Amino acid sequence: MKIVVAYKWAPNPQDADVRPDGSVDWSRAKNAVSEYDPVAFELARRLADATGGEVVGLTVGAASIDTPLARKAALSRGLDRLVMVADDALAGADGTRLAGALAAAVRTIGDVDVVLAGDSSVDVAEGQVAMTLAGELGWLGLNAVSGVTAGDGGVVVERDLPSGVATLAVTGAVVLAASSDAVVARVPGMKDILGAAKKPVEVLALGDLAVPATEVALVTLATAKPDAGARLGVVLDGSDPAAAVAQLVGALRQARAL
Amino acid sequence: MNVTSQSWIVVSDDPAVSALVEAARLLGTEVVALVVGRREVAEQTAHAGVDRVVWLGEPADGTPVEAFAGEVARIIADAAPRVVLGAATPAGRVLLGAVAARLHAPVLAGIGSVELAGDQVVVARTVLGGIAEHRTAVSGGTAVLTLAPGTSADATGAPVAIEEVAATPTTGATITDVRVKEQTKVDLGAARTVVAVGRGLKSREDLALVTDLAEAVGGEVACSRPLAEGVDWVAKERYVGISGQHIAPDLYVAIGISGQLQHMVGVRGAKVVVAINSDKAAPIFAQCDYGIVGDLYQVVPALTAALGAGA
Repeated sequence: MKIVVAYKWAPNPQDADVRPDGSVDWSRAKNAVSEYDPVAFELARRLADATGGEVVGLTVGAASIDTPLARKAALSRGLDRLVMVADDALAGADGTRLAGALAAAVRTIGDVDVVLAGDSSVDVAEGQVAMTLAGELGWLGLNAVSGVTAGDGGVVVERDLPSGVATLAVTGAVVLAASSDAVVARVPGMKDILGAAKKPVEVLALGDLAVPATEVALVTLATAKPDAGARLGVVLDGSDPAAAVAQLVGALRQARAL
Repeated sequence: MNVTSQSWIVVSDDPAVSALVEAARLLGTEVVALVVGRREVAEQTAHAGVDRVVWLGEPADGTPVEAFAGEVARIIADAAPRVVLGAATPAGRVLLGAVAARLHAPVLAGIGSVELAGDQVVVARTVLGGIAEHRTAVSGGTAVLTLAPGTSADATGAPVAIEEVAATPTTGATITDVRVKEQTKVDLGAARTVVAVGRGLKSREDLALVTDLAEAVGGEVACSRPLAEGVDWVAKERYVGISGQHIAPDLYVAIGISGQLQHMVGVRGAKVVVAINSDKAAPIFAQCDYGIVGDLYQVVPALTAALGAGA
C-alpha cells in the first residue's frame, strides 16, 4: 500500500505580531511541522507497518519551506521518503491553489492508495484543504477520521462525527483527514532523527506540475486587529485567595455580572 | 467566469440551516437548496424559507453523503451561482471542497457577516487562526463560503416542492456501523454564565472543583481544546475555541486557561471575562476584565464558598 502524508511546514500565529492596522509581522515566528500533522504521520506509519506499505511525505509552499531542518523534521516522523514543492509562486496561495499543487504532486508520485492529512493547519486553522485535495483528485474524501486500519481490498475508516462514531469500509483511493485526537503521535527518538539524514528527498518543480490556475480571486478590502483592548484588565494578586475572591465578587456584583 | 444572481446552499444530513438561508437571502435573488441525504432532511429544508429544493434522492443503504461530492460539484458548476454556502461541519467541508476544486475557487471560512456590494460578495471574516480580521471581496466567479449553519427552521409558511434529480455516488465506501453517542444535550450558546477550565487542571478528578463553581454560579461547564481532545476529560461539545463553540455569555470564568488566541476567539463576545491562572504572564490577563493570579486549587474553592455564602 502506498500512503502519502500531506503535511504543512508553517508558523504558529500565536508567535506573530499583529499590528494595530491588522497587518501581520511573522518575523519572530518560526516554521515547524503543523500542530496536528503528527497524528497523520503516526496513522500512516501504523497503516504502512500493518500492510508492508510505504509512507511518502508531501508538502508544498514557498521556497522557504525547503531547509535541512524542515527535511529532517518530516523525515524523522516515520517517512520512507519525502517529496516537496517549494516555490515562491505558492507564497500566500489560498487553500484551493495549495490543494491543486498537492493533487498534482500526488499524481506525479503515482499509484497512491491513501492520502492522510491532519485535522487543520496551525496557521490557517480552517480544516478545509485536505477535502479540497480530495475534490482536486476526484477521490472520496473523509474527515473527522479517528482511526484507519487495513481492510478487504482497501481500508476500514472510523469517523468521530457529531452524530456518532461511524465505521466505513472503503475500497479505492481516498483522502483521509484525521481528527486531532485520533491517536497520540510518537515523539521522534534519536534513531529517527539520525535515520532521517539517509532518507531520499525529491523536489518537484512547480513548473512541471499541471496545477489549475485560480479563477476566483479574493481582494482584501480592509484588515483589523480584533479588539482585545476593550477589556478592563483588573488583575488581583491571589496569594491571599480569600481576600482576592472577596474583591472579585464585590467587583462582579457592582458590575452586575453576578 | 460569468455567474447568475442565485445563491445556492448545500445541505447534508443536518436540516439546521437558518444561518445559511439568511446569508443566502442577503447575497442572491433566488435561494436554491441542494440537499444530499435522507428525504427527511429535504423535507425540513423545504420549510426553511428557500425558493427551491433540489434533492439527490435517498442514498442507498450504507452510502455516505460524502460519496456525492462529485455530483454536488457538477450540479453547482452547471448552475454557476453568485455564491455557494455550506455548513462548517465535517460533511459540509467535504462537499464544499469538491465544489471549490471544480470551480477553482478558494473556500472562505471564519465568516462573521456577509454583504452584497453591487454584484460582489463581500465577507467579514477572521483569518490566520483568529489573529486578524479581514474584509474580503470575491471576484471572477462563484464565492464559496462555509458558515456555522444555524438552527432548524420553524415550519411556518408553505413549503416548496422537492425536485428530485438522479445522482451517481462515487462507489467504494460503505458505512458498516454507526455508534450513536449518548449526547448530553448541552446548549453552551444559551448559557448566561460559563465556567471554563484548561490545562491548569492536574487531573480529571479535580473537575469537581470546576463543576462546584459552575453550580454555585448557575452556569455551564466548558473547556479549552486540550481537555476535550488530548485527555478527553470534558465532552467535545463543551470545547470553546476556533474549531469548537463560539459563545457570548454574560460572564465567562476561565480557570487554568492560558488565553491562547485559538481559545479566546471562541469567547470574544463575552460581556465579562474573569481569569484565574497561576502564571502572571499568561496572555489571558491581557484579555480579561478581572483576573486573579493565584493557585486555582485555592482560589476556585474560595470563590465557590463566597458565592454560596452570598446566595
